[in-house]
Amino acid sequence: MKSFEEILDFAIDNEQKAHDLYMDIAEMATRPGMRQTFLEFAAQEMQHRERLEAIKAGKLPELDQARVETLGLSEHLVDVPVEKDMDYQSALLFAMKAEQRAYDLYAGLAKATDDPNLVTLFEGLAQEELKHKLHFEREYDDVVLGDN
Amino acid sequence: MSLKYTIAPFSAWLQAVSKPFTVPVTGGPRPGAPRYRGWHINDVEKCIGCGTCSAICQNEAIDMVPVDDPVVGDSGLRPKIDYGRCCWCALCVDVCPSGSLGMSNEYVWADTDADVFRYIPGVDEKPWDDSELGWRREEGFELVDHDRVPMGMLDPDERTQTWAEVVIGYTEEQARVEASRCVDCGLCVAACPAHMHIPDYIGAIRDGDDARAVQIIYDNNAMPEMCGKVCTRRCESVCSIGVQGDPLAIRWLKRYATERFDNLAEVLQPQVERVGEGRTVAVIGGGPSGLTVAYYLAIRGFEVTVHEALPQVGGATFFGIPRYRFPMSSLEKQVDLLKSAGVKFVLNHRVDGDELTRMLAENDAVFMGVGLMKPMALRAPGEDLPGVIPALDMLREQNLGHEVDVGEKVVVVGGGNVAIDASRISRRLGAEVTIAYRRRVVDMPADDEEIEDAEAEGVEIVTQAIPLRVEATEDGKLDFVWGPAEMVQEEEGKRPRPKLIEGVENHLVVDRVIVAIGQGPDLDWLPTEISEKICNKWGYIEVDETGMTAVEGLYAGGDLVNDTADAISAIADGLRAVNGIVDKTRAQHV
Repeated sequence: MKSFEEILDFAIDNEQKAHDLYMDIAEMATRPGMRQTFLEFAAQEMQHRERLEAIKAGKLPELDQARVETLGLSEHLVDVPVEKDMDYQSALLFAMKAEQRAYDLYAGLAKATDDPNLVTLFEGLAQEELKHKLHFEREYDDVVLGDN
Repeated sequence: MSLKYTIAPFSAWLQAVSKPFTVPVTGGPRPGAPRYRGWHINDVEKCIGCGTCSAICQNEAIDMVPVDDPVVGDSGLRPKIDYGRCCWCALCVDVCPSGSLGMSNEYVWADTDADVFRYIPGVDEKPWDDSELGWRREEGFELVDHDRVPMGMLDPDERTQTWAEVVIGYTEEQARVEASRCVDCGLCVAACPAHMHIPDYIGAIRDGDDARAVQIIYDNNAMPEMCGKVCTRRCESVCSIGVQGDPLAIRWLKRYATERFDNLAEVLQPQVERVGEGRTVAVIGGGPSGLTVAYYLAIRGFEVTVHEALPQVGGATFFGIPRYRFPMSSLEKQVDLLKSAGVKFVLNHRVDGDELTRMLAENDAVFMGVGLMKPMALRAPGEDLPGVIPALDMLREQNLGHEVDVGEKVVVVGGGNVAIDASRISRRLGAEVTIAYRRRVVDMPADDEEIEDAEAEGVEIVTQAIPLRVEATEDGKLDFVWGPAEMVQEEEGKRPRPKLIEGVENHLVVDRVIVAIGQGPDLDWLPTEISEKICNKWGYIEVDETGMTAVEGLYAGGDLVNDTADAISAIADGLRAVNGIVDKTRAQHV
């Protein structure tokens, strides 16, 4: 298993990749307003990256280990492909699923190690991803499912 | 002068030492009787600042003064009482619609400063503020009639056999009685997005002048018969009579007045400045906001053309609202008035990006009110199966007069007005109908009366039901699979959110799954250079205080712009744009 710093680097790289993906989608988005939406998503990923970098530099307290309760909204919804004419509903669904995948990754890594420090780190990172997912779930619940 | 009168002043002094005839007062003044009408008290939290106390006061002893910022349903004013005028009759207490005003049984108060005898009960602290005793309105005694004149409606069993209007409407006598319940407080005016002059037109109905009522109604609503039938009636939700009784039937009274006249042009002779002579305006979308813009600009001399993609204008009130709520004849009557005002209509014509650019170049202004035409998708597995249909498509087909087949059994997913309309239409088409809604009935965005009507017509509502998937059965039907939800109160003051209870699946085998979970904007046709300037991240359009977008001369309104998505808000948006265009035109004249 890699060191504490290497794992944070891995997480930072993940956030950077998510940021880059959203920037790419924003670049090709054709629907009104969607470019702005994806730029916002990208900016959020950059904030996540900066938070992790601050933790790595010892400038922020350790990750919150409190368990995040999500709404479980995306689990029963279909996957959406990345397309240039994605609408706001698809964008939120895509983002929810991406955060869920990131959570699954860190939760899996936490289970795969015996080092208590790494377990704490991975579980903290996993809960961070759930927080992000919950943010998108609330938006989906308010905006897309307003009548349901 | 006799001796008697000479010594009288001196003998009077003897009275100073004689036994008094009066009883000496000990321990301060005697308390007032338990129901004495003494100094006023007011529960300012309960008070809504309606001013009915001030209106009824025969001595003009009560002024309504600002104590807080006004909010919807509360004027922010509170009564200030001048005890130099007050005659302690307690009419103000007896009429108070909120029941906040009372009188203590305290009556002694001496001061050398006369100004202190004008105070705001409940705001200016007094020793008797918490007095339990004193005058209160007696239980069961009402100066205001709390009971609404009931509206006649078709029997629920009869309704599902016909497309006739469910609501029958008030008779002249009923309307006069209902109108007479109004206390003229005006809280409704602030709550109405279009700020209609409600107490004025209700007063005209009460006085038997229906033509005058219609003229007042048309001050700021060009689709009042529609509003009289299907309005979300924010006005009624703040009616002061509604605090302790039934709110005034403002919607039904508007309906009554507008239905009195077949030819509105004969009743209305608007006296407005024809500031727009020689100017042209294009309206894209013939919904409530667009028609509002068209009418009020046309009577001001503008040459207005409405471009509509469907064969009939009306927007959602044409293609979305079922005929048993808003019949075609009512819509046509309103459109006829627009035609008589000179508005031109281009029907069956969908404007594209190039044409919009051309319109902006060729007209003095362009107004866009194309509504929310893109149904939100279920995004559950199986949503692409034949038989899973958007409610908007189903409503449009029905209202266009096309044949709609929903089979024998239907599930409608959603809890808004569109879901209720789709379910009630399905009942009329002969289907057994279940509504599956993720939250509770109390959370449903649909109108309470509509929900009650749907249930009365046999629609079953299953709450806290989360759609999981739709599967095709071997006999050609659809298996709608849903899971139960628990409600999670995440944030105080916000509506709780549903969360799936894992591990439980319920099945509903139906012929159609009608999806009515919401609508969004469909503005893909806009040129990118325009959409980038005027759309926000949700794809909605943003406008300034004059209703204009970031593109010069391009105005917008309706569901695309506001977050309330009802017809009266669309009308209000249209009025804002009218004012913006007229003000700009006037400025150009200078």
